[in-house]
Amino acid sequence: MSGIVLTIRDPAGPPIDMTGVLPERLIEGGREALAGLMPVRGRGRHRLDALFTLEDGGPPGTLILRPGGAVLDGVGTGMTSGNLRVEGECGAYAGSAMRGGALTVAGNCGAFAAAGMVGGNLRVAGDAGDFLGAPLAGGTRGMSGGFVVVMGNAGDRVGERMRRGLIAVHGRVGSLCGARMIAGTIVVGDSCGPDPGQAMRRGSILLSREPEAVPSGFVDGGMNDWLFLELMRKELIDGGAWPSGYPAAGTRARRLIGDRSAGGIGEVLILSEG
Amino acid sequence: MRLNGVHIEDTFAEAFPMLGTRLVITADTPAWVQAAVVSMTGFATSVIACGCEAAMERALPPGETPDSRPGAAVLLFAMSKAELAKQVARRVGQCVMTCPGTACYAGLRDGPTIPLGNALRYFGDGWQIAKRVGIRRYWRIPVMDGEFLCEAATGTVDGVGGGNFIILAADRRSGLAAAQAAVLAIREVPGAILPFPGGVVRSGSKIGGKYKGMIASTNTAFCPTLRAAVPASLVPEGVESILELVIDGVSEAAVAATMRAGIAAVADLGAAGGVVSVTAGNYGGKLGRYQFRLHEVMA
Repeated sequence: MSGIVLTIRDPAGPPIDMTGVLPERLIEGGREALAGLMPVRGRGRHRLDALFTLEDGGPPGTLILRPGGAVLDGVGTGMTSGNLRVEGECGAYAGSAMRGGALTVAGNCGAFAAAGMVGGNLRVAGDAGDFLGAPLAGGTRGMSGGFVVVMGNAGDRVGERMRRGLIAVHGRVGSLCGARMIAGTIVVGDSCGPDPGQAMRRGSILLSREPEAVPSGFVDGGMNDWLFLELMRKELIDGGAWPSGYPAAGTRARRLIGDRSAGGIGEVLILSEG
Repeated sequence: MRLNGVHIEDTFAEAFPMLGTRLVITADTPAWVQAAVVSMTGFATSVIACGCEAAMERALPPGETPDSRPGAAVLLFAMSKAELAKQVARRVGQCVMTCPGTACYAGLRDGPTIPLGNALRYFGDGWQIAKRVGIRRYWRIPVMDGEFLCEAATGTVDGVGGGNFIILAADRRSGLAAAQAAVLAIREVPGAILPFPGGVVRSGSKIGGKYKGMIASTNTAFCPTLRAAVPASLVPEGVESILELVIDGVSEAAVAATMRAGIAAVADLGAAGGVVSVTAGNYGGKLGRYQFRLHEVMA
């Protein structure tokens, strides 16, 4: 059985909530089960095959979405297995509460991508909005597992309240990256907005340059060698997630420890060559 | 069986189940790796009194270590999971963490785990940091030269301890040369170690003794100086020196391969090299689960 390609019939209409349109539905119930799903668009629910054309295509078990614009919200929400590819842009909540499988977005995605993520892989070729890997709206648990790579930029509050897992943003991130972080790792390839790690308890934020401003509760631990960076580099290079602007060798970094005002012993590591 | 004039006795080595683990230790230079390994595997020759048996399995080039630095694989064996966990925590804590620049990683991923960094993290006094990289979890413990990086746990394997063979030589010099040749050959075989000093035992033991409380005493049957005095002596005429190689391995196959490599190296020296015969230590097959018949091993 091949995969299925869903091409949106009316890209100009209101956003579609794609929650529940997952590759595991295809694997479990086949094409018919998938076509009978009832996503929400506008004020009502509609059969999936009324909103999209369904064609065979792609590797077995793979669901391919062709959205024609950022009109698909909740793509991959709660996904547990399989492959979901978006050949275009995503709206908000891409990969939110994701537990497993792989979600690939060829374009940009909106706010709350990977929010509340527990496991799996999210790879975004373009930019990501605010609250990447943060808690879902109203929630208190940020990303607690999984692997997120954004090849472009990301907005504010990346990894807010993050508990585990890894987020690698190759481009810029906005303010309050890793705010109230509890554990996990955030890697930022380009510039970082003000106040990374505000009120963080533990966890690591890796930067290639000084952030715009550091929260007052951070203390400068100075330069040193951090062996785990070598392990991290190998892992991220294998996953295609090591930012191109990062040193290709060496484990030296300046470490800022904080946020001490919250009793935290997290770290902002500013990498250097050599 | 005769190999190059060396008599290979038709007997067997009796070995026992042991629980083992492999650790990978790295440091800035091979010399510091060696310093950590020598310290960590010190006083680890026999479970009779040391708690565990341990030795370096092989040196690892930077390309084979997790952090791309020089390293070494070390194997440790004990009689129970609890004892192995205790020995690993003590030895890594006192001998590896204390050694400048070192890091310690799990060398086995499968099998039941025992704590590694999980047992040592408290040394960080609250400043230790857990870091997950991929599927592996590490502890970063602040120390005076920076940070001690240690994997959280390591896997264990049902290994085999007490594989052995005994070299009977015309004199001490030729016996030592044969033993050293065997050690060099064995160190090329993965998955097994020789826990005794230099890989060789000169004080092989038998179970019990004449004195109360002795669980082991000198192997009188193999003491050349007692040949005339001990009725059950196994020392033939013309033999002045006997040395034993004791082998622990991660599997029966690893121990057999190691014995084969060692005995072959001894046989290469031949009778001309002063080697008279090769035999093995056993307890009549009553105690150990594993039996390595020398003729089968060398077939």
